[in-house]
Amino acid sequence: MVDPYIVSSIVYASLFGLMAIGLTLTYLTTKVPNFAYGSFVTIGIYTSFTIYRLLGLSPYVSAPIAFAVGGLSSVAMYLGILRTLARRGSSLVSLMIATLALDIGFIGIFGIYTDYLYYNLGIFDSKSFYQLLLDFSLLGLPGLLYVAPASLAVVTIGLFILLTKTKFGIAMRASVENPNLARILGINVEKVYVFAWFLAGGFAAMAGSYYDLFFTGTTSSGSDLIVEIFASSILGGLASIYGAAIGGLIIGASEILLTLVGVDFFGSWVARYQRGIPLVIMIITLLVLPQGLSSIDWKKILRLEMIGKFFRLRVIRYTLRLRMLLKTFRSRGIQ
Amino acid sequence: MDLPSVALFGVDIIRFTIDLGNTFALYLVVSLTLNLEAGYAGVPNFGKVMFVAGGAAIAGSVCGRLAAIILAVNTYPDYNGSIARIISDTNSSLLHNPLLSVELLLLGLVLAAGVGAGLGFLASYPAIRLREDYLGMLLLASAQFFQLFLSGYTPFIGGTGGIEVPDVFGWVGTGIGFRDLVVLGFLGLFAILVYFYFERIARSPLGRTLRAIRDNEVASRALGKNDVAFRRNVIIIASAISGMAGALIAFEDGAVGPGSWTRITWTFWIWVMVIMGGSANNLGVALGALSFTFLFKTLNLVKFQFSNYVPFDVNWLQYLMFASLVILFLIARPGGILPEKSSTTLPRRTVAEIMEPRPKPIEGSETSENRSTSPETNPG
Repeated sequence: MVDPYIVSSIVYASLFGLMAIGLTLTYLTTKVPNFAYGSFVTIGIYTSFTIYRLLGLSPYVSAPIAFAVGGLSSVAMYLGILRTLARRGSSLVSLMIATLALDIGFIGIFGIYTDYLYYNLGIFDSKSFYQLLLDFSLLGLPGLLYVAPASLAVVTIGLFILLTKTKFGIAMRASVENPNLARILGINVEKVYVFAWFLAGGFAAMAGSYYDLFFTGTTSSGSDLIVEIFASSILGGLASIYGAAIGGLIIGASEILLTLVGVDFFGSWVARYQRGIPLVIMIITLLVLPQGLSSIDWKKILRLEMIGKFFRLRVIRYTLRLRMLLKTFRSRGIQ
Repeated sequence: MDLPSVALFGVDIIRFTIDLGNTFALYLVVSLTLNLEAGYAGVPNFGKVMFVAGGAAIAGSVCGRLAAIILAVNTYPDYNGSIARIISDTNSSLLHNPLLSVELLLLGLVLAAGVGAGLGFLASYPAIRLREDYLGMLLLASAQFFQLFLSGYTPFIGGTGGIEVPDVFGWVGTGIGFRDLVVLGFLGLFAILVYFYFERIARSPLGRTLRAIRDNEVASRALGKNDVAFRRNVIIIASAISGMAGALIAFEDGAVGPGSWTRITWTFWIWVMVIMGGSANNLGVALGALSFTFLFKTLNLVKFQFSNYVPFDVNWLQYLMFASLVILFLIARPGGILPEKSSTTLPRRTVAEIMEPRPKPIEGSETSENRSTSPETNPG
């Protein structure tokens, strides 16, 4: 039997990987940190919840629908507000305020929607519901333990193939690197951006619909995750999709496992500050490695011969010193 | 002594005005500090709530304990556990002790300023090193965690339930609504002082330097301005004053709890005021704070009239309304109601004369002018 904490840390980590990939996609295209991003997770949570309550379908079935709903809302947000503002030459701070305003607006929308579910459809746990017990079980473990990491792997590999092997993906990378030059080459940069925003909202909503199977869902579940999502994305470097996936995995796993270690060492009060772990990782990343994991030159670190040479020198130096020491001892007559 | 009540449209207009004034004064102070940081110095503070909450929590926690010790109130078995009895005992003693009340109020303000400045100093470390977007994310996340800390660390303000705060305005009189009037006077005085202090900063060489740093960091550095020190000092001053505002909120409400310190209440609403009023313009921000407070309070009064017509809680419409208001302002009028003005070091008339030199009127020039302008009508 696998420890339930290990199970939840793997699930948590995979979901954060998905969310961080989405946030990184929006940041890459528009260069704005999307404060409303957590709300797209909530969109996924509630799409799957509603479909389960009305049609009785499992979140695994409704995840593609949630993907589409989240993606379309994300595109609407980009086209309706952010692009309009950007075309009027708004500053970065103005765009950030606009995304914060959208996050607040989403609180109103979710409130109205859950009230509608409550009063008109008679769903009395619409404001806060327990995890939906619909998950299948494989080898005595919850199905999400397999599905969530598999989704993250499929998304990451799919994006890798899209970005390196297809013409559209290469056009995407070109428009991220240099939009003006890409336009000159005839790439429809707008189309690329809209596609990236669709994927971003979709990944968040998909993670949200998996979230239903494992955690309690409320109208603020998504926006409460914003600390972890930002931390994952920043740890990944905010500019690399693969970095974001790894960042999400590290943040998700360390949040649960470090809390567990902390509870063992210091007592149960540590569990209350679980959210502090991603914040601390984020601060350390920003101060020590502002460009994130993707900026580390792994080849240089992995150049094993360098490490070997370094250690060999050390070993020679220390053996020489030890010999000298022994010689002096001997000369003083200490055997 | 009771305040008279004047009803207008079924609303007690005097009570409404006092409530509006109190809220406006507090919002004005906090929005002015955000304006100094974001408008003048170009440091977008998306974690404003942290500094306000820090001041409120320290003032509420320390002043209550200190008052209980000084007045020898029985705090057995623990302070937070029996807070309701302790505060009611403290309040009945403070009723006849104006000197101690004022001392507690001042101590709370000083402590809150200290905590605000400390938090500001911590925040300035990343603020002068990071880009705007990274800084925004970091401060937003930190503020989120700070709220979690307040609700998690029970010895401080009693965890999620919050604690009550001794009433330092209780001695002024027991009449209905009279305490609020005195609070309004005090808050108003504080807000006016802060307004003139910030207006003085804005008009001084310091204010112009801040704008220069905001607009072009490299050029101002080339002119010998230490942009790092300027930004750090601005964040510390603004955070200290935010903390003082937080302490006043705690004293006014008579309670402090982590639930009220969200990124909506004291970060987003404050940004709404600054954006609506006009950033880098103190008068504009004051106008923005006033119109926001008026809209907010009026909506609170009238919104329940509509609750029979809509199938949901009308509170949600308020979120939607202010979110769309901000976005509309950003799209249609990014400068706000009163946009930023260029700063003039000389009086406007002098500047105009320098720009367009005109001959000065001298003695007896009137007749010569008449003659020159209309030689045909007055010949010879």
